[in-house]
Amino acid sequence: MGNSGLVFILTFIITLMSRAAGLSPPGRPRLTSCRSPEKETFTCWWEPGDDGGLPTTYALYYHLENSETVYECSDYKTAGENSCYFNKKNTSLWVNYNITVVATNALGKNISEPVEKDVAYIVQPDTPENVSAVVVREDQIIFVRVTWEKPRTADTRSGWITLDYQLRIKTEKDEEWEEYFAGMQKYYNIFSLHPGKKYMVQVRCKPDHGFWSEWTHTAYVKTPGYLARERSLWIMLTIFFVFGVLILTWTLRVKQKSVKLCLLPPVPGPKIKGFDKQLLKNGKSEDVLNALVIQSFPPNTDYDDLLVEYLEVYDNYEQELVLDGKDLSEDCLKSKSCLDSDSGRGSCDSRTLLLDKCTEGRDSSSNSQHYSQHGETSWASTESSECQVPEPGSPESVDGHAKTWPVVFSSPQPHHCQAYKPAYHSVPEILNLSSPRMTPISYHRLQHRDVPSQEAHFSKPTCRHSQSYHQFSLDSPEHTAENIVSPSRSMEYVEVQRVNPENVLVLRPLSDPEGGRNHTELAGEDYTKVKEVTSNNMLLLQTETSPQCSDNYSRGLDSQADRCSTQQQPSKPSVHPLFSPMPQEGMKLMGNGYVDSTLLMPSY
Amino acid sequence: MKHTTVLQVCVGFVLCSLQAMIVPALDCSGQGLEGASCTISVEKLLDRAVQHAELIYRISAESKMMFEEMFIPLSVMNPHVYGGTMCAPRTVAVPASKSEIQQISDKWLLRSVLILIQSWIDPLADLQVSLENYDNAPSVLLNRTKWLHTKLMSLEQGVLILIKQILGEGGLLLDGPEKTADLLVSPDIFESVRTDYSVLCCFRKVAHKIEIFLKLLKCRQTDKQNCSVF
Repeated sequence: MGNSGLVFILTFIITLMSRAAGLSPPGRPRLTSCRSPEKETFTCWWEPGDDGGLPTTYALYYHLENSETVYECSDYKTAGENSCYFNKKNTSLWVNYNITVVATNALGKNISEPVEKDVAYIVQPDTPENVSAVVVREDQIIFVRVTWEKPRTADTRSGWITLDYQLRIKTEKDEEWEEYFAGMQKYYNIFSLHPGKKYMVQVRCKPDHGFWSEWTHTAYVKTPGYLARERSLWIMLTIFFVFGVLILTWTLRVKQKSVKLCLLPPVPGPKIKGFDKQLLKNGKSEDVLNALVIQSFPPNTDYDDLLVEYLEVYDNYEQELVLDGKDLSEDCLKSKSCLDSDSGRGSCDSRTLLLDKCTEGRDSSSNSQHYSQHGETSWASTESSECQVPEPGSPESVDGHAKTWPVVFSSPQPHHCQAYKPAYHSVPEILNLSSPRMTPISYHRLQHRDVPSQEAHFSKPTCRHSQSYHQFSLDSPEHTAENIVSPSRSMEYVEVQRVNPENVLVLRPLSDPEGGRNHTELAGEDYTKVKEVTSNNMLLLQTETSPQCSDNYSRGLDSQADRCSTQQQPSKPSVHPLFSPMPQEGMKLMGNGYVDSTLLMPSY
Repeated sequence: MKHTTVLQVCVGFVLCSLQAMIVPALDCSGQGLEGASCTISVEKLLDRAVQHAELIYRISAESKMMFEEMFIPLSVMNPHVYGGTMCAPRTVAVPASKSEIQQISDKWLLRSVLILIQSWIDPLADLQVSLENYDNAPSVLLNRTKWLHTKLMSLEQGVLILIKQILGEGGLLLDGPEKTADLLVSPDIFESVRTDYSVLCCFRKVAHKIEIFLKLLKCRQTDKQNCSVF
C-alpha cells in the first residue's frame, strides 16, 4: 500500500515535472472530417494536438458498428498528411464506421474522440471539370452559356450518384456573387448580364445526400458592348440615314427652284405703272422718272368708265320738244344763246346744227329717208320729222325714225342736231315730256357702258335721246297735244344713280336733287323695263306702273301700235324692234370718225 | 498513514476521473437519429439495397445489349435456348411465380435474395475473365461487368446485415452459396461467347428478381397490407 501510494505520488510528480519542463504526452488529436468523393471510398483527416515537444505518431483505428473488431487504417499516405484512405474493399455502405485517432509519443498517447460515419452521408464530390463560359448570339439575343463536365470520379452514368450543379457569376468589381441552380444538366444560359463587362464564373456540385463540392477555378467571359449587341440596329439606322440623305438631295435638286423661292422669296419689284426696271437698273433716276411721267400721265382710257355715270342734259331746249313748228323756230333761236364752255355742252354745237336743221327740216321731209339709210344718222330723220311735228307724222316717217332710236352712239350729225332743238334734257324730264302713253324706252341704252371716252359723246346720245323721244312722240299724232313740254328747265347734269335689277337705269339730277315732283313721279312711272327680246329682234318692254298702255313703237310693217290701246294692261309688254333693218354689219365708220358700236350690241 | 492513504486514493481517483473524461462519448455525427447504438436504420439499409439492385439490373441490361450487338449474330440469338435451364441451376428453391412471392414471408424473401446474390458472384467473376480474353471486347463492357461484380458483392454485404437486423442472428445460418457447375469455361471461342451471353442473359433476369424482392421487402416494412408484386 505504501508502495502503490508512493508510485502514485511519484508518477504525479514526474508528470508535473515533465510538464514544467515542456515535455508532455501528445495533445489530443481531432478528426476533422471524413469525405467520400464517389460513395465507394472515403478519406478521414485529423488534426494533431500538441505534440508535447516529443515526436508523436498517429494511428487511426476503426471498427464497424456492432462489431468489436478493430481495424487500423491501412493507407496513411494516399490522402496526404494526417489522413487515412479507405479503399473500395474497406468501404461498406451498410454499416457505420467508428473511427478514432491515437497520438503516441514517448510520454504517452492520446486518443481522439471517436467519430461515427456513414459513408452514404459523407459524400462530397470533386469539383466539376472543364468549366467554360461563352457569349452566344441567337436571333439578336445575346447571352452567356456556361458549360462544364462532371467530376471524373463521380459515377453518374450508372446512377450510383446523382449530382446537382450550381454556378455563380459576378463582375470583378461586384462584391456579391449571383448564384444560379442548374439541376442535373451540365450547361446554363445567363441572360441578364450587363454589356461590355468581364464576368467571373464558378461551378460546384452536390449529390443527393452529401456536401457541396468546392468551387471550380474561375472562368472568365466578356460580354459585348452596346454597339456590338445592337449591331443590326445600327446597320439599319445607317442605311435609313443614307437613304434619307439621298432622297433629300434628289428632292432638293428637283425642286431647286421652289425651294429657292421658299427660302429666299424674291423681292417684289416696284409696282408703278410705267416704271421701267431696266431704267432703274441702269442707274439713271432721271430716266426712270421721265418714263413715269411720259407714259402714265394723263390717265388712260381705263378711267373713263367713271365718266360714264355723268350725263349732261340740258333743260333749255325743253320747249323744242314741243312738236310745233313755230315753237321750234323760236327754240331754235333760243338755243343759240346756249353757248357755254361747260363740259358736256359739247352738244351746243349740235344745238346750232339743230337750229339749222329746224329750218331745213320743214322744207324737206325727205331727208328722213336720206338719213335713215345710215344707221347712225337715224336721228337726223327724227329731227326732220320733228321739224314736221306740227304735221301729223306720217307713219312712214315714224317708221323710218323708229329705226333710229336704238342707235345711241351713232355719230351725230351736227347739222341735224342744229336743226333740232337742243336735246339736253334731264332724262326724267324727257320722260316727262312724253305722255304717259309714251314709252320711255331709251333708258336701256344707257346701260351700256361702252361709251366713247370723249365727253362730248355723252351729249350726243342725249341729243338723240331727245330726238328719239321726240320721234316717239310723233308716233301718235293724237297725243301730240299731250306732248307739251313741261316748262323749260335749266340744263342740269344727270347722274346715274343706279341700275335696277330689271335693267333700268335710275337717274337723278345732280344739281337739283329736289328736281320736281314730276321727276320722281315719272321716275317711278316712266321707267320701262325690258322684259325680253323676241327672235325677230323685237324688244319687249314692260311697263310697270302705268295703267295705260304705252304706245307701241313698232317698226317696219309689223306695227302693233294699236295693241296696247285696246288692252290696257300695265304689264303688257310693248314690242319694239331692237335694231334697224339695216344689216348688222358691225362697226360702221361714219364720215366724221365716230364709230357706231350700237350694232355690236347683243340683242336682248 | 490513513491520511496518506486517503489522500492517495483521492488523488488517484481524481486522476482516473480526469483520464476517464478524456474518453469521448460516442459520436454519431453524420447520421440521423438512430438511438444509442448508432447503427444504420433498417429503412436506410433497405433503401440502399434497393438502389443497389436497381442499378445492378440496369447495368446488366445494358451490358447484355452491348454484348449482343457486338458478338451475337441475329440468326444465332435464340432466347429459348438460353433462357430456360441454364438460368435456374439452383438446388434451393427460389420462388418464381407471383403467387409464391406474395405468400412468402420476409424471412424467405431475404433468404432468396441472399441465395441469388451469392450464387452469381462467381459467374460474374468468370465472365470478367472471359471477356478479358476477347480480342475486341470494348473497355466499356469490361468496366461494366467489373462494376457489376463489385456491386453485387456490396449488395451481398448489405443483405447480410439486413438479415441480421431483421431476422436476428439466426438468419445467417444458411447454406453457403453453391457454385453452379454448369457453366464451364470452354476453350472454344464460339462456345465462350455463347456461354458469356447466357451468363449475361440470366444475370439480367436474376438482377431483376432481386430488385423486386427487395422492393417488396421494403414495402412490407412500411405497410404490410398494400404491398403487392408489380
